[in-house]
Amino acid sequence: MKRVAVVVPFALGEADLERRRAQTREVRLSTEIEYEFVPVKAGPSSFQSHHDWLLLDVAVLEAGIRAGESGYDAVVVDTASDSGVDALRSVLDIPVVGPGRASMLFALTLGKRFGVLAQWEPALARVDKSLTEWGLRSHCAAVEHFDTAPDFEKLIGDKAGEVIPKMEAACIRLIESGADVICLGSTTMHEAHRVLVERLPVPIVNPGPLSYKLVEILLAMGLSQSRRAFPEPLVPKPEMIHTMLESVAEDKTH
Amino acid sequence: MPPEVLRVLVLVPFPMSAEQLANRQDQRDEAHLPAGIELEYRTTKAAPSNYVSAMDYVIADVGLLEAGLDAEMDGYDAVCIDTVSDSGVAALRSILDIPVIAPGRTMFLTALMLGRRFGVLSMWERWFGLYERTLRDLGIEDRCAGIRSIDTQPDSRNLFSGKEDDILPGLHEAALRLVEDDGADVICLGSTTMHQAHGYLQERLPVPVLNPGPLSYLTAETTLALGLTQSRKAYPRPLVPKTEMIAEMLLAAARSELAEGRT
Repeated sequence: MKRVAVVVPFALGEADLERRRAQTREVRLSTEIEYEFVPVKAGPSSFQSHHDWLLLDVAVLEAGIRAGESGYDAVVVDTASDSGVDALRSVLDIPVVGPGRASMLFALTLGKRFGVLAQWEPALARVDKSLTEWGLRSHCAAVEHFDTAPDFEKLIGDKAGEVIPKMEAACIRLIESGADVICLGSTTMHEAHRVLVERLPVPIVNPGPLSYKLVEILLAMGLSQSRRAFPEPLVPKPEMIHTMLESVAEDKTH
Repeated sequence: MPPEVLRVLVLVPFPMSAEQLANRQDQRDEAHLPAGIELEYRTTKAAPSNYVSAMDYVIADVGLLEAGLDAEMDGYDAVCIDTVSDSGVAALRSILDIPVIAPGRTMFLTALMLGRRFGVLSMWERWFGLYERTLRDLGIEDRCAGIRSIDTQPDSRNLFSGKEDDILPGLHEAALRLVEDDGADVICLGSTTMHQAHGYLQERLPVPVLNPGPLSYLTAETTLALGLTQSRKAYPRPLVPKTEMIAEMLLAAARSELAEGRT
């Protein structure tokens, strides 16, 4: 049995973690792989500024290093921003997968130009940054948001009746802008995926479940990220990273 | 949820004997597929002698389109194409609702999930046009660090059989040049027929080596598990599908080849 750590980018308690774990039930997964959801020790309160992104990079890096030290066979990050992925890839030899870049590249196996569904206006800056970093701007037909503040703990939950029509309207705007595939811009949108698929005429990529399948492919083929693309630091400093996060750890287990 | 057993049709782009087909089927073992997925291989009725010119590309497209036309009706859940050229994929996608997996596209995009710039390792310089066509179509020419070959005319039916000692060291050397001189951080094998070199190269190279055939099978399984298929907006249907015409054309092509004493 192989073990995959899914790093959750907020210091969630058990009940909220369960809403994240639900993603593993949205796709048929190998029976030979176990997915364990591991929250970061601490992190930002929002996800809309460089301050927040940097804190999340550090927090995910720490949790991922912990996973590597605990003998996991791969690490997935449960955020389509791919926070911390590049840094983790520079220190881990096991596969590290970020759902964001993977979902956009996978979208291009199904269509020609994808659209990204973002949460609200403050989320647009991060999508913009990702498109630049991943060199995928020219493949993106449009980015649209559905003007709803994110709830990183409760996700969509009991607000589905109000939120899903807004998501659908934003998806239709993406299609009108030329998108032939839609990428959900956050793993927290997974609860809406099935309904959106039923209502929209283009494939919709659900980044979390895709990232688990991608891990299966990499493990089956014995592949991992390229060390040439993600070179090691001269002196890795895992102790420093652990100490920093332990000093600010939030305890949500009670 | 998808059915318990998924049947994937793998289209092989040349008519060939059962023994020759076995060389292609060996790719199945390299994929380490999960339980519940079955691969069945079907050859085209006619084909170009190799894929080196625009005329060859057209014949290959039609041959593969015909070979896969009935896939959905025959109960398959997905189609893979056993050629990195992705020949026939776009036309098949315009007709079929089940996923049609393109090994070339899939491999190049997967390479970008693992690194920044990939290199394409090929047998033969005359295949370069095929890669350039897909890279242009995908708009990722700038992500390809280089294309190199050992300039050896490949045998599409017998593959490496008996010639491994001549071929493998040369491929290794060319791949090293892609990494060291051209800056490739992932290597893509330029043909599904090169699968016999994959293990040898992966053991000796400092970067991931992608094996397009097995990767396409696993991608088919992933696409099905996620309930996805190609976008109908990207691959619109014809007003009038001419399936009988295409079937007739290929039967005629096979007769013509027989009359000419070719396969």
